[in-house]
Amino acid sequence: MTVPTGAAPAGAAPRHRAWAPLYGALTAAVRALLLLVAVSAVVFAATALLPGDAAEIRASPGATTEEVRALRAELGQEAGPLRLYADWAGGVLRGDPGVSLVNGRPVLDAVAQRLPATATLVGAALALAAPAMLLLGWWAGTARRGRGAATALLTGAAAVPTAVTAAGLAALLSGVLGLVPAVSLLPPGQAPVHSPELLVLPVLSMALPTALFGGGLLAGAVADTASRPHVADARRRGRSPWAVAAVDVLPFLLAPFLRVLAVSAGGLIAAATVVETLFGYPGLGSLLVSSIASRDTPVIQAVAVSAAAVVLAGTALADAVAGGTDPRGRAW
Amino acid sequence: MVSRTAAAVLLLAVPAAAVLGGLAAPHDPTAPLAAPWQGPGPGHLLGTDALGRDVWSRVLAGGAGLLAVSVAAALAASAAGVAAGLAAGWYGGRTDRVLGSLADLLLAVPSLLLALVVAVALPGHAAVVTATVCGGAPLTLRVVRDAVRAIRGAGYVEAARGRGERGAALLVREVLPAMKGVVTADLGLRVVVALQIASALNVLGFGPSPPAPDWALMLRENMPGVGVNPWAVAAPALAIGLTTVALVLAVHLVTARAPAARTRKDTRVGT
Repeated sequence: MTVPTGAAPAGAAPRHRAWAPLYGALTAAVRALLLLVAVSAVVFAATALLPGDAAEIRASPGATTEEVRALRAELGQEAGPLRLYADWAGGVLRGDPGVSLVNGRPVLDAVAQRLPATATLVGAALALAAPAMLLLGWWAGTARRGRGAATALLTGAAAVPTAVTAAGLAALLSGVLGLVPAVSLLPPGQAPVHSPELLVLPVLSMALPTALFGGGLLAGAVADTASRPHVADARRRGRSPWAVAAVDVLPFLLAPFLRVLAVSAGGLIAAATVVETLFGYPGLGSLLVSSIASRDTPVIQAVAVSAAAVVLAGTALADAVAGGTDPRGRAW
Repeated sequence: MVSRTAAAVLLLAVPAAAVLGGLAAPHDPTAPLAAPWQGPGPGHLLGTDALGRDVWSRVLAGGAGLLAVSVAAALAASAAGVAAGLAAGWYGGRTDRVLGSLADLLLAVPSLLLALVVAVALPGHAAVVTATVCGGAPLTLRVVRDAVRAIRGAGYVEAARGRGERGAALLVREVLPAMKGVVTADLGLRVVVALQIASALNVLGFGPSPPAPDWALMLRENMPGVGVNPWAVAAPALAIGLTTVALVLAVHLVTARAPAARTRKDTRVGT
């Protein structure tokens, strides 16, 4: 008789196994927090300390050095770098990331106004991509012949840059077929769910590469799990293919699936900059791009650091949950 | 052998088409020649763009810069990753741990986000190089490190050590040649990711400035006319898409030929 290698023998479990998931979650959280501090310092250094600042951009053409310096002092950019970072980080922690250098509006207002549009976009893309990547991974991982070719197809298609997928979809769905508008300008103050036709192109162009990429990553996990002895055992006992898939394979895929989802969400947040700019969709991604173009440092810092915070929180959460869901490490 | 030839043909054809395409352009890619947004027709194979410039000529001329930046960035990432991977795999211990945690740190944030932050302070091509090195070198490091650990105790390496070869000389003369397959395949993937970052930054307007022909910039420039002349958007999209797929295919053919040269299949930004 063969012992299923997947399940750990109960007697060999360490005494503190019950605390392991909690400890893992705590480590993941601390790690994410430290990384966020490091990221915020890098963002701050890149935006605040390097040449080409907002004072030069904002000064009228032909302004003298003295005038630029006076404007810089007025904008509060004369203090030392450490002092500036401490002031800024303190402000962010108090919920006050400053005011925009370009239009004088509070940064928090601008972010709050754009957040729902991007959240809708990323959420819809993820909701579409998650089941699709599971199906694609299943298809590539269980293909009898040419599994390598199937995985290569997925990785190859996933390598096409987001802007290319977006432009290709626009040319096809909007240019040739005329099904949806190519520009996704939302009327001011209107929630994106009220104009679903504007969401089609941005959501599809974000979901498609994500599904292909996730499918390529999951194919390996599917193939590994499907070749485990307990799966062959279940098949030999005459369990139906669907039951084998649901009971013997899926639980092992949950941990890699969560990790792939977290990585995909991070990629989607970054891809939102390209997709939103290309389609003129008013979200945080296009806000980040336009504020980089105008060197509006408080807005860049706030948007970039919150994007990094969401990405890091997602990875930490996935790590913590995946640690608890892996059937191999289960204490009961 | 067939796959090797196919990979070589793919790898030569893509840059050749991108570099020589500019010379073959029938018209000046920056000169307005006809009415804007004309569809494909005689004289203008793919029609014209917003300023009445020939789309076909701009597609032929628009790949060299993008490809050059991507290859330069990938070479920098690969060089940094190989150097760090050799050190981590060979010396092990604390060197390995420090370099490994540095790699984890750099991989925590999507490369595209990093590229955007760097683009605040540096010109677009420098941002592409920085982001590709930060996001790509850690992956190269892991691959090379594992490969070095696998051959560390091999007979010919022991023999070289016995002959008195030491440190960097031994790494470069004995260990590095064995990494050729791994490094080549990995370099292909670094180019793919660099191409993603470069095209994203160019689309966002941090790359070449307007009159210059550039595949990625064309995507954004021609989006307003997609309903009138879809080819103005579809042609540069196809050009970038085919280039990336050809690169991934070439990498796949190389790794399929030499199973030892398997690398991580991370072909997307943000991983």
